[in-house]
Amino acid sequence: MSVLTLRLAGPLQSWGASARFTRRTTESAPTKSGVIGMLAAAAGIERGDDDRLAPLAALKFGVRIDQPGTRLRDFHTAHHGISGKSMPLSERFYLADAVFVAALEGDRTLLTTLHTALGTPVYTPFLGRRSCPPSLPIELSLHDEGALMDILRQVPWQASAWYRRQYPGRDHIELTVLREADEVEQHTADVQRDQPLSFAAEHRRHALRTRVSDPVRIPRPPARQLPRHDPFDALDEESA
Amino acid sequence: MNRIFLDVHALQTVPPSNLNRDDTGAPKTAVYGGVPRARVSSQAWKRATRTYFKREQLLDTSELGVRTKKIVEAVADRVTALDPSLAGETALRIADATVNAAGLKTEVPKRKADAAKEGEPAPAPEAKYLVFLSARQLDALARLAVDGMADITAFLKEKKNKDRARELADSRHSVDIALFGRMVADAPDINVDAAVQVAHAISVNRVENESDYFTAVDDEITDAETGAGMIGTVDFNSATLYRYAAVNVHQLAATLGQGLREDEPRTDPVRRAVEAFVHGFVASLPTGKINTFGHHTLPDAVIVKLRTTRPVSFVAAFEAPVRGETGGHVREASERLAEYIPDIERAYGDEDSTLTWVLRVGPNTQKLAGVGTESQSIGELVAAVGQAVAQRLEKPA
Repeated sequence: MSVLTLRLAGPLQSWGASARFTRRTTESAPTKSGVIGMLAAAAGIERGDDDRLAPLAALKFGVRIDQPGTRLRDFHTAHHGISGKSMPLSERFYLADAVFVAALEGDRTLLTTLHTALGTPVYTPFLGRRSCPPSLPIELSLHDEGALMDILRQVPWQASAWYRRQYPGRDHIELTVLREADEVEQHTADVQRDQPLSFAAEHRRHALRTRVSDPVRIPRPPARQLPRHDPFDALDEESA
Repeated sequence: MNRIFLDVHALQTVPPSNLNRDDTGAPKTAVYGGVPRARVSSQAWKRATRTYFKREQLLDTSELGVRTKKIVEAVADRVTALDPSLAGETALRIADATVNAAGLKTEVPKRKADAAKEGEPAPAPEAKYLVFLSARQLDALARLAVDGMADITAFLKEKKNKDRARELADSRHSVDIALFGRMVADAPDINVDAAVQVAHAISVNRVENESDYFTAVDDEITDAETGAGMIGTVDFNSATLYRYAAVNVHQLAATLGQGLREDEPRTDPVRRAVEAFVHGFVASLPTGKINTFGHHTLPDAVIVKLRTTRPVSFVAAFEAPVRGETGGHVREASERLAEYIPDIERAYGDEDSTLTWVLRVGPNTQKLAGVGTESQSIGELVAAVGQAVAQRLEKPA
């Protein structure tokens, strides 16, 4: 089995699993339907094309919480185009300042296609909601061989420099992974309705999916190996 | 398939202001990089952009859509224009039937229906929600209604005509519908996916909201009375905002279709849409409390990139907040971007196929001069971007 890892980082993200009508909530970690939907969009799979969606939805999914972020409530108004009168108010919830590593396990050919598609997407990827573009390219790497949990134990900690500084002087950090349950765990696992069946606009459908929480211990990267595109590391040292 | 993306980045400073407020009246905020920032929601800036199209006449009215519940009246007006013998109730009736055949459910608002019982003229049905239709779609629906005026019910029962109504509502989209999308709750098959992604603008610097306590004097007050005529507070902040939007040009081209006029190149509709968007997005400003604060500003720096790979936001350059120790935030923000852009593009590849333009003002943005071709004015920038987009579209996939 191969594993594709993704980095989901941006000022705002929003991953709804049960949001309806005027209250649009977010889960505290990316949903499977959100991530699969993003990959399907990148690969150019149209909304109603359930046949092409099926192999993506069948991938095994897990997500590691590298930086949990904070919850943000946004108050949204709209006005009538002509009369100027207010339309129903809505509340939208976001995760601010969060970083996740999502992993998908499955067929190598399919994962290779998805990995390429993220670099040259048909539809622009976003983090759960269109107004939430990623702050860095999403694709991390494609591991030709491996199991999802093993890979999530290896991928370096992706949290921002300012966040990592809050955990000084430790050589390991413990992170939470939310993954799909094995067969033996089926009955004890949590469930969440985010297994995508169809993204067709007329009848969007999701099935229940199991979710198990596992801690993983990641080596804390030495200061020098921080991501090279973070030029401000030196700036904030004493104030953080 | 040819992938064409355009991303627009802008640094814009606003003085004490309240562009976009939450339900408590305070300017919106978000935490980023662990510190509070000013935030202006994407929907606020999209509305400002759409308004700008109209106000500055960047696009012809025929290329714009109208977002309204009064869609039946809009079609009926056009029916009357096509055939003056069809007016009043007749026009409304055939317009309503056609609009419903297109999948847009309408009803007479209860409040107006009650009024009608007391001898008022019969009210027009309205859609239950705001519907976004282009001028060309309204024209086409009106023509269909006129075609079937003899017996509109029988006419629209025919599958051919019913399908035609749906098709009319789903083709020849206006530029703003193609850019910002359309969502119809009970006719999802005629939804349009937006080609534009606008991020929430956030400040590059740490921002905490402040509160202005004010008193207003009563001009007619007598000596016998004391105190202010009224007191209150207004929340505000000031910020240097990083603004970002990405246009999926190949998707926009698919939604808009090719040019309909014989005498123009087939890439013209997309070029005009892209030019209008870049101009409108850069120059527009949400007007929240604008008469209180007069925060009319324009961006100090604009960077536009045309790519064949996915668009990239540069917001991470400001994850550590800009301190502005040398006075103001624009200089340090520009230095950060000038360092960050080549760095991230080297790390993730494809600088070769990326075209970059810069529009900048003043010595504080000097460092950005090197990141792309400098434009002297917004007009020059927009024209150069439009031309490059048309060239990319012409290239075979």
